[in-house]
Amino acid sequence: MEKILSKKALPQWVKTLTSYKVYFPKKDKDERWNYAEIDHEDINLAFLNTTLPPKKLLFPQKELFLEFAKTADGDQETLEVKEILPDEQPVVIFGVRPCDARAAWLLDKVFAGEFTDPYYWKRRNQTTLVGLACDTPPWENCFCLSVEGSPCSEEGLDILLTDLGDKYFVKSLTEKGATLIRAGKKVFQNPKPEDQKRAQAVQAESVKKIKRQLKDARAISSTLKRMFDSPLWDEESMSCIRCGICTYLCPSCHCFDINDELESASPLKGNRVRTWDTCQFPDFTMHSSGHNPRPEKASRLRQRLCHKFQYFVETYDKFQCVGCGRCISLCPVGIDIIKVLEKVNQHGT
Amino acid sequence: MAKIEDLKEEAKKLLREGKVKYIIGYGVGGNGWTAVPVFIKKPEDVDGLIWDPTCVHNLARFLVDEKRRKAKEKQPDARPVGIIVKGCDSRAIVVLLQEKFIDRKDVYILGVSCEKAGVVDDKKLAKKLKEKKPKKIELGDNGQFIIDTDGGKVEVPVEELLAERCLECKANFPVIYDVLSGDKTKRAVDKPFGSLEKIEALSSEERWNFWRAELEKCIRCYACRSVCPMCYCDECVVDSINMAVAADTSAEEKAQKIKWIQRSSESSENFVYHLVRAIHLGGRCIDCGECERACPLDIPLRFLNKKLEKEAKDLFGYEAGFDSSLPALISCFKDDDPEDFIR
Amino acid sequence: MAEEFEPKIVAFLCKWCSSAGSDLAGVSRMEYPANVVPIQVMCSGSISPLYVFSAFNKGADGVLVSGCHPGDCHYIKGNFYARRRLKMVKQLLEYIGLEPQRFQMSWVSAAEGTKYTQVIKDFVKELKPLGPQTKLRRTT
Repeated sequence: MEKILSKKALPQWVKTLTSYKVYFPKKDKDERWNYAEIDHEDINLAFLNTTLPPKKLLFPQKELFLEFAKTADGDQETLEVKEILPDEQPVVIFGVRPCDARAAWLLDKVFAGEFTDPYYWKRRNQTTLVGLACDTPPWENCFCLSVEGSPCSEEGLDILLTDLGDKYFVKSLTEKGATLIRAGKKVFQNPKPEDQKRAQAVQAESVKKIKRQLKDARAISSTLKRMFDSPLWDEESMSCIRCGICTYLCPSCHCFDINDELESASPLKGNRVRTWDTCQFPDFTMHSSGHNPRPEKASRLRQRLCHKFQYFVETYDKFQCVGCGRCISLCPVGIDIIKVLEKVNQHGT
Repeated sequence: MAKIEDLKEEAKKLLREGKVKYIIGYGVGGNGWTAVPVFIKKPEDVDGLIWDPTCVHNLARFLVDEKRRKAKEKQPDARPVGIIVKGCDSRAIVVLLQEKFIDRKDVYILGVSCEKAGVVDDKKLAKKLKEKKPKKIELGDNGQFIIDTDGGKVEVPVEELLAERCLECKANFPVIYDVLSGDKTKRAVDKPFGSLEKIEALSSEERWNFWRAELEKCIRCYACRSVCPMCYCDECVVDSINMAVAADTSAEEKAQKIKWIQRSSESSENFVYHLVRAIHLGGRCIDCGECERACPLDIPLRFLNKKLEKEAKDLFGYEAGFDSSLPALISCFKDDDPEDFIR
Repeated sequence: MAEEFEPKIVAFLCKWCSSAGSDLAGVSRMEYPANVVPIQVMCSGSISPLYVFSAFNKGADGVLVSGCHPGDCHYIKGNFYARRRLKMVKQLLEYIGLEPQRFQMSWVSAAEGTKYTQVIKDFVKELKPLGPQTKLRRTT
């Protein structure tokens, strides 16, 4: 369904969502945005993009898997293991940019393959993503168009809002989205034909404003195959300080580590948790024998780019990169994957 | 006025004569105007070197990479690497020399003086310019930055745009160098630890709330550690995974390996990580500010390290990074070290 | 009657002086609060700041480091290094807002059994009103 919501009425809609935990982008003292639970004075969507993508809420840095405890009854020792799924709590995240939602859609493929990850899906199924189409590129390094995305794409979203100046054009894309709109009831109006035309025009305009481009991304996928042993990787990774920011802030990166965190050793009591991990750390591929197949930065940079632009394409026929530009804007030493991939293209041909 | 041209000649000579392996310097980055670290191997590429107020990075960090690279080579190339350093970066090199991590003969230092200015804080710049897009920044002759924007030239007094650490700078020009470009002039700093006063004035509970709110944000990306030249340990406290493994090391032994800090970003674990890092940098941190700049969540890490920098000065009269013949702060002592806190 | 809070103190005692001093207190049947978990180390200079932070992380309400008097260290200089290093730890912990009474250092020689008991008695008295340490304690 399609509706119109005036910007002034947005807080009223949010007020009706009493059974949900609501997240909005919030500005901190340094003018950076991040998703936070709302405080009712500050509800607005006049933001560019958040530093941490919605992945922080769907796939949190710490995910509790299970609790274990050993109890002793005389000579008998029993190990109790209890699976802990995420809390039952419907969540709404407002202000999700189409690239970040597309990344969530890509993560859905990863976590639903041969093995369905119950933790990810518990959160995903109870989270409604309300997207905001980009009228101007939020980051100077946005390049969603080059990786088959767009500033108004709908994959992964439940509702898409398009900014028409003083109101939003609201498009419901899934049943979850429809439920949310029905909760708002009279806050919405029906769209007129000129609203639909305006929305389409705004979206068409926004597509023209994306400045950065990665040409022939599909061709790069096949070129990467031939570049495994190229000295290019050594040159490009010289300034990498393997900090992990590119992967931690990437909306579609999902590597993780699983650890047992002990509360006490005797009696044995603790949790098994999943935490974020990154292929850029030197010990990511360390084997317990001490051998490390990716000891230098060159191999790790190659791994990141090949995963995004070659391996994922081979498995799912989609780019894992959504072109949000965070890794380029936030890399402390200015490593630019668009430039690196352009060099790959040049070297390969 | 420090000019990169002075150093380019020297750099070209060094590379032509094969006196250095490569030169670590600043070049123009992908967006066309801010500096990024570059590695120049051929004399003809030297013209790509730049020097302007966007040269924020502490290039001494790459000396750690160079040492690791050499350690892996069977027949290492014993030539030094050339490196372009600002005043703060040179102090980092002094600390590395002091700790005998590198030898003096491993580096050929091309120093540039910030004179009475420093580097630009990109957030302050964005706020000042608002909608205008910068294309180039230069230091003017009258204590101002001259910014070329798409809406014309803008002149701003340096104090308004300098990075916070530059406002408390102790070394405007390199304290150690082989070649120096620019004058040895110092910025007057009336309160060397003035930025700490706001936090120190808070009550204990308020300080706790401040640090807890900041460190709760931490996602443990370890960018602060990765960008610091002084964090050069091969195995960090948080990693605790490297161990001497023999064929008969049992799975139990591998699993029971001590883990000081859990990986998940709980507040307590984040605190312990940052406290351990701060104490390991006590008497070694030279306030290059890179940790705070790299942090994607804007945690004010400088204030953690700066507190210990202040204590080192006030309690022990110790300043890091000026004299490479001094022993490290915690590997020496004075008979009159304070012990009023000891029963 | 409600149970009074009993603080848990982790005490790092140097083997040659402070640990011997605590043994003397025990052998002489001196009474002092049973709130201490003693950990014997070879020298106060061998205490890494990590041990102190880790003790708080694992739930200690107070941490004591005790060594030989300056000039009497079995390893000559160890306690001088400890004095400097642990002063920095104390300043840092205070700076982040941990109550300053929670981390303490003392010089206790092998003959000072009485002093050891006094140090512990005073420590427990200062910790009781502060309640359990929750700031650095790991919560699962």
